[in-house]
Amino acid sequence: MRPMRSMFHTRRHNVPSLNVASMPDLIFTVLFFFMIVTHMRSDEVKVHLQVPEGSEVQKLANKSSVVNIYIGRQENKETRKQGDWLVQLNGDLVKPEELPARIEQIRATMSPELAEHLTVSLRADRHTPMGIIQDVKQALQQSYALRINYSATEIQ
Amino acid sequence: MFRKRYRQQIPELNTTSTADISFMLLIFFLVTSSMDTDKGLMRQMAAPPAEHEQPMDINKDLVMNVEIDAHNQLTLNGKVVTPAQLTEEVRTMASVNPTGHVVAVQADREATYETYFRMQDAVVSAYNSLRQQYAQEHYGKPYQRCTAEERTAINDRYPQRISEAPIEKGGRP
Repeated sequence: MRPMRSMFHTRRHNVPSLNVASMPDLIFTVLFFFMIVTHMRSDEVKVHLQVPEGSEVQKLANKSSVVNIYIGRQENKETRKQGDWLVQLNGDLVKPEELPARIEQIRATMSPELAEHLTVSLRADRHTPMGIIQDVKQALQQSYALRINYSATEIQ
Repeated sequence: MFRKRYRQQIPELNTTSTADISFMLLIFFLVTSSMDTDKGLMRQMAAPPAEHEQPMDINKDLVMNVEIDAHNQLTLNGKVVTPAQLTEEVRTMASVNPTGHVVAVQADREATYETYFRMQDAVVSAYNSLRQQYAQEHYGKPYQRCTAEERTAINDRYPQRISEAPIEKGGRP
């Protein structure tokens, strides 16, 4: 018979190691899912804005043919004062007069099918005066970018 | 003379860190991408007017003049209304004369975008409720679940007849 001490202190079992070979596959699947579902944040929004709320909003389909226009103000970091109203097309700030030429440039880079479905997503701040919106809309009308999406958040 | 051949086993590749690498990629995508779906009101603008185009004559009774003044006051044919009242009025008008009426929209340059958006939302809401009702009556299902052809039929029955006033340069101060 064994001595008392080792009766309870039996042989140490090795914990079987977990097979983690398939874990990368799993994570890659999640990764691909995210890559497909999401789109890259392409342009940095340089103006400060808050879109209005609406109850009849719809999802904007076909993101590849969307041109983003942001209208808002830039905040002065030191004085915390709101600056003038600015218009930003995709990545950079533009004047409303320059819009038709810019839209034309963007249209030229698109494939014909996409250019046909060109949609302008207008993300304007709630307090934007209509004068600026009207200038922008007129510029868009001149360049035959007639599909407009007034971006908004949905009222829950 | 004979070299002793050991059957060498191929050493297994250590793939423990692949998980870490793919995790890092995953986190990178999570951070840089935006999940939020772009939502908004879809509108189709009219083409720019041709040079010698005569404005169409429309019966005055069928025109609903929606105006927003510089103080964000919403008026319908001169009367002050709330967006909910506007929805009701447009709904009534569009159900009586779906293809004849016109909602003429005009906003002052000093009005805020939010008021304008609320107004657009209210008008679209009127059309949507009419379409919803039509879909329910004729196809027995909500508009969202109708097929493309059915939707086209409904949209032809209740077209959105919103006319944006010709935008004046300069405008009122």
